[in-house]
Amino acid sequence: MGVALGLLAVWLVLPPEHVRGVAAPVVLAAAAIACGALTIAGDRKRLGWGAVTAGVLGIFAALVVTHASVSNLEAVFTWSTIFGAMLIYATPLTYAAIGGMFSERSGVVNIGLEGMMLMGAFFGAYGADKTGSWPLGILIGILSGCVLGLVHAFFSINLRADQIVGGTAINFLALGITGYLYNDIYGNRGTPTDLPSVPNVHLGFLSSIPPRGLGNFLENVLGDLNLMIWLSYLVLIAAWLILFRTALGLRIRSVGEHPRAADTVGISVYGMRYGSVIASGGLAAMGGVFLSLGFNNSFSENMTAGRGFIALAALIFGRWRPFGAFGACLLFGFASALAPQFQNVQSWQTYQSLFEAIPYILTLIAVAGLIGRSIPPAADGQPYAKQ
Amino acid sequence: MEDPTPVLELRGISKQFPGVLANDDVDFDLRRGEIHALLGENGAGKSTLMNILYGLYKPDAGEIRLNGKRVSFGSASDAIQAGVGMVHQHFMLIPVMTVAENVVLGTEPRRGGVFLDERAAERRVSEMARTFRFSVDPSALVEDIGVGQQQRVEIMKALYRNADILILDEPTAVLTPQEASDLFEILRTLRREGISIIFISHKLNEVLEIADRITVLRRGRVIETVPAAGATHEGLARAMVGRDVLLRVEKSAANPGAAILTVENLHVLDDRELETVHGLSLEVKAGEIVGIAGIDGNGQSELVEAIVGLRRPTEGRILVNGQVITRDDPKHLIEAGVGHIPEDRHRRGLVLNFTVAENLSLHEYRRPTESRFGWLWPRRMITRARKLIGDYDVRGGGPNTTAGSLSGGNQQKVVIAREIESEPDVLVAAQPTRGLDVGAIEYVHRRLVQARDAGKGVLLVSLELEEIRSLSDRILVIYEGRIVGEYTPEASEEELGLAMTGGKRGEEVPA
Amino acid sequence: MSEPAETPEAQVPERVPFAQRYALWQRSGGIATPLATAILAFVMGGMVVLATGHNPLQTYRSIFDGSGLNWLFPWVSGAARDTAATDLQETGLLMIPLILTGLAVAFAFRCGLFNIGGQGQYIVGIVTGTQMGVWLGSVPGPVHVFIAIAAATLAGGLWGGIAGFLRATVGAHEVISTIMLNWIAIWVGTYLIGFGGPLQDHSQPGVPVSREIAPDAHLHVFWGNPFLQGLDIGFFIALAMLVVYWLLIQRTTLGFEVRAVGFSPEAARTAGMGVARNYFLAMAISGAFAGMAGALDILGWQFRLDVTTIQIASQMAFTGIAVALLGRNTAVGTLLGAVLFAALINGTSTANLDPNVFPPQLAGNLTRIIQGLVVLFIGADVLILYVWNLRRKVKIRRQPPAAPAPVAE
Repeated sequence: MGVALGLLAVWLVLPPEHVRGVAAPVVLAAAAIACGALTIAGDRKRLGWGAVTAGVLGIFAALVVTHASVSNLEAVFTWSTIFGAMLIYATPLTYAAIGGMFSERSGVVNIGLEGMMLMGAFFGAYGADKTGSWPLGILIGILSGCVLGLVHAFFSINLRADQIVGGTAINFLALGITGYLYNDIYGNRGTPTDLPSVPNVHLGFLSSIPPRGLGNFLENVLGDLNLMIWLSYLVLIAAWLILFRTALGLRIRSVGEHPRAADTVGISVYGMRYGSVIASGGLAAMGGVFLSLGFNNSFSENMTAGRGFIALAALIFGRWRPFGAFGACLLFGFASALAPQFQNVQSWQTYQSLFEAIPYILTLIAVAGLIGRSIPPAADGQPYAKQ
Repeated sequence: MEDPTPVLELRGISKQFPGVLANDDVDFDLRRGEIHALLGENGAGKSTLMNILYGLYKPDAGEIRLNGKRVSFGSASDAIQAGVGMVHQHFMLIPVMTVAENVVLGTEPRRGGVFLDERAAERRVSEMARTFRFSVDPSALVEDIGVGQQQRVEIMKALYRNADILILDEPTAVLTPQEASDLFEILRTLRREGISIIFISHKLNEVLEIADRITVLRRGRVIETVPAAGATHEGLARAMVGRDVLLRVEKSAANPGAAILTVENLHVLDDRELETVHGLSLEVKAGEIVGIAGIDGNGQSELVEAIVGLRRPTEGRILVNGQVITRDDPKHLIEAGVGHIPEDRHRRGLVLNFTVAENLSLHEYRRPTESRFGWLWPRRMITRARKLIGDYDVRGGGPNTTAGSLSGGNQQKVVIAREIESEPDVLVAAQPTRGLDVGAIEYVHRRLVQARDAGKGVLLVSLELEEIRSLSDRILVIYEGRIVGEYTPEASEEELGLAMTGGKRGEEVPA
Repeated sequence: MSEPAETPEAQVPERVPFAQRYALWQRSGGIATPLATAILAFVMGGMVVLATGHNPLQTYRSIFDGSGLNWLFPWVSGAARDTAATDLQETGLLMIPLILTGLAVAFAFRCGLFNIGGQGQYIVGIVTGTQMGVWLGSVPGPVHVFIAIAAATLAGGLWGGIAGFLRATVGAHEVISTIMLNWIAIWVGTYLIGFGGPLQDHSQPGVPVSREIAPDAHLHVFWGNPFLQGLDIGFFIALAMLVVYWLLIQRTTLGFEVRAVGFSPEAARTAGMGVARNYFLAMAISGAFAGMAGALDILGWQFRLDVTTIQIASQMAFTGIAVALLGRNTAVGTLLGAVLFAALINGTSTANLDPNVFPPQLAGNLTRIIQGLVVLFIGADVLILYVWNLRRKVKIRRQPPAAPAPVAE
């Protein structure tokens, strides 16, 4: 209830503007905060804080927006562009976050997602270049991520090394290996311009959906998305099914919660963790492949630029659940999509980088427990020694 | 009656751990449909034996026969496969999953080969619960149900895997008396269904109540195996304890002075936010040892933690020397004159990776001579440590040895040296001799009596009734978070035992 | 009653805090293990070089020369000696932030915390240091320098302290919060000196850089050309911080508490130490080291801050993790680790590596690979223990049994 009110307040002030004035949204947002406070008092802290946050956001947005000019707002908030871009930006995050979820649900912390993505980005491009086919490129990219996952699995499971240290090492390694090979193979020329890239899916029929405005909007947003974006939704649903609807998923989660209990009923803790961490590498790598083959059509050094960490943040923000993480990816994708729009207005340009910080600030708040505490799987990060 | 052919035989089992012969040529057999109790003190080798049977340890010698066939279990899953189920003392349950999920984990009913059939799982659990007369909600989360129910989930886990041999490791340690009698009812039902049960315990009463036969282990060896019918309390106690640990502490009569520690109407919550200390009051005077007797889990740990400042009471007052210290942190309590020998010396009593000198200085480091204005003098720390190591007879290392490499007894001496040397007015000793050898136990006891004679008040919390009786000047019995009676050390074991199990509830003896 | 039931559990602890495992590892192999780790990493790096068709020995030789460490050899003379001197000065400059960010990791480690926020703390420090250098032009030199360094140190400390505070109060894992704080620092820093940012040099609106710091805020260069990255006295400040670190850990009650909390928070709490307080202080002090690194870089040789530094060069703070791990969180170890990585990074830089021997753009990545391998191997203390035990087992098996063997295989 409160959340809805708060969001309504935000929506009200955004163009095409419905109400030009501070009063209405502020009142709505205040109501949202009140609802939130009540909810908190009523012991449902998570929802309550959500409402309070939405309310605060509403007031903030109302104040900012009413001080900005209408034309500026319209230049920035081109909804179809933003939503389209949001889906694109969210995709690599989605892959990596799902990957991270497998690993962490099985009890292995994976801060090497960044490195695994980078591996996928390079080897995807390299594979596509050498084989001349993008499906093989994707496959090779995935394999490279799996290999890195295997390394992480070996060190954190068999050798019981500190998983954070291991993940940090994975990130260094991936940066070094991809940079080295890229320079060695492609040098200053860069990856070839005729790299076989993953095609887009055209959905022309969307524009014919009535009413006309909606149809056009849908077509602008969804009509020409990359195949790998659609694939990511399949992967998302599959991941949810596997983790929460199959026996295998139950076992993976049991290993991440209480490995000794799983062991005593004959579940192979090492096996589950190996599988999950390797899958995690492959999935994160798919996010990288999307960057190089689906989005940029080229590889450049360190091209993931911290997306692995945003994915990690999304995973935590989404409380280690598939759709929660996906929601967080969309939210973070939205922030990333909105940021470049600021360039359309001269005087707003400077705030672009400030805007980029929002996903991290939100996650920090989530970790701190203000919007409902994120609690990881009980054995996350704990090495397991067989008896 | 039961079928006399053994379903399980253990022959000549030996297991050596560094420094300890945990099992020495143990023979044990289990008949179909019997409850066979394995009785022994803490550390007698019961758990080791069962872990061998359950495939968690490999025996150094000996063999296991199941239905006459020799078997060798490399892992717990081998044992499960062969029909052996175990209910561990610390439950092997996943709190965030449902009862049904916990039961079927590892052997899940499936739809289409991959999908978890949650409904089938719940149905089977309900059926099982009906057969064996459990009352458990299969769709409840394990973290939301009580300890007694969790234990039933553990039993169902074993039964679901078609176990016909069930090992229960100290099953009543975590239960209230009511829950325990429910458990016994369940065990009798299981016996009727032809399940053979090994019941590990160190409590005589319950063993006599539930078992058909009793095997007594002492120091890794089988002392005797007797039918429960005809076995006596005294006879079993003698077999269990032997003659070597008759604890008699030489001490003069107590000479109590003014009250040093006063606890008034104390209420404390445990980690799960359940109130485990309900309005407890007690008083310790200078120059006396007050023993708190009770069965594990009746609020002792929470009481101690509240007194030493590790846990905030929700209500009530604690006074040391008349000064209210109820909500202070450990640092202020130490300064107010409370010494603390923690229950778990590995986790709380010592920093195992610190040297002996550093451990001896865990209070002293912030006082002058060892430090001033935040500046530390490690030399002085070491000099002092050298002296204390001599005074308290710590063996096995010098000031720079890491505490973790000392034996248990010497580790405890380090703790005691530190606590006594910080000159407390009242010393709270929680399970001070747990896991120690006889020599170390005697040493600890002597030191506690010395502290008493030096005019300190001592609050002794122990699960060993014998220890309480031989050391205390006054005995308070704790039951369900309340003091239910005060006794003199001359009180008989039966009398105390009755009070400890709630038999005397409500008749509070005025202090 | 001895404790047979306890013994086996004690041998295979289920949850061992990192600090405790770390201590175990420290005892297990003296200086040999970090050395072995480094050598192994270099050998594997060499194999990569070999596999891509270059000569590893020549490459390493050339990197060594590029780092200027050959200046230490008396037989290097003439023009080569001058070049070596310049190179060594640059290596020394690199050592400054590596020592300090290494200490930022090491100090937190001693408290059982993993500070991977060195990057953010460095950025906060460098931004603060820059602005202090730009402002206060009228203040006399030494005071100006002192204020700038102190402010940056404080700022870094606050930034690290946020993570410490969150850990201490709500238990938020410091690894996650420091990662987030890194990125917040990056983007906020980029905003501040980026296009149109409040701290950007407004005389060149097209370039995302800060204004230049006042000349009297420059650190004194004691070796080499002050305008061409000569070595400044920041080097001695960093060395002094190693001493400060050692004193803090070994000779203060704070260090005593930090170590106790790092090994066993429960025992520390029982002994009356404020665990939360120590978490906060440890992270704040760690952050202060990293913040100081930022100030010394800007006052020593960068003189103005650009966006590239914030977004890319600050990643060097991650190398601090490798430095601290390799140096086993000791002062001397951190110094040696800093020498190694500074030499490696400088020796592989485009300017210093002979492109005829090995392409520098490859070499820079070779450094990252070696760095990754070092961290990977050193994190796996069990690997070393494992090999160690294996060796012992083999030894035992080799000894022929004196009596008839009691156990058949």
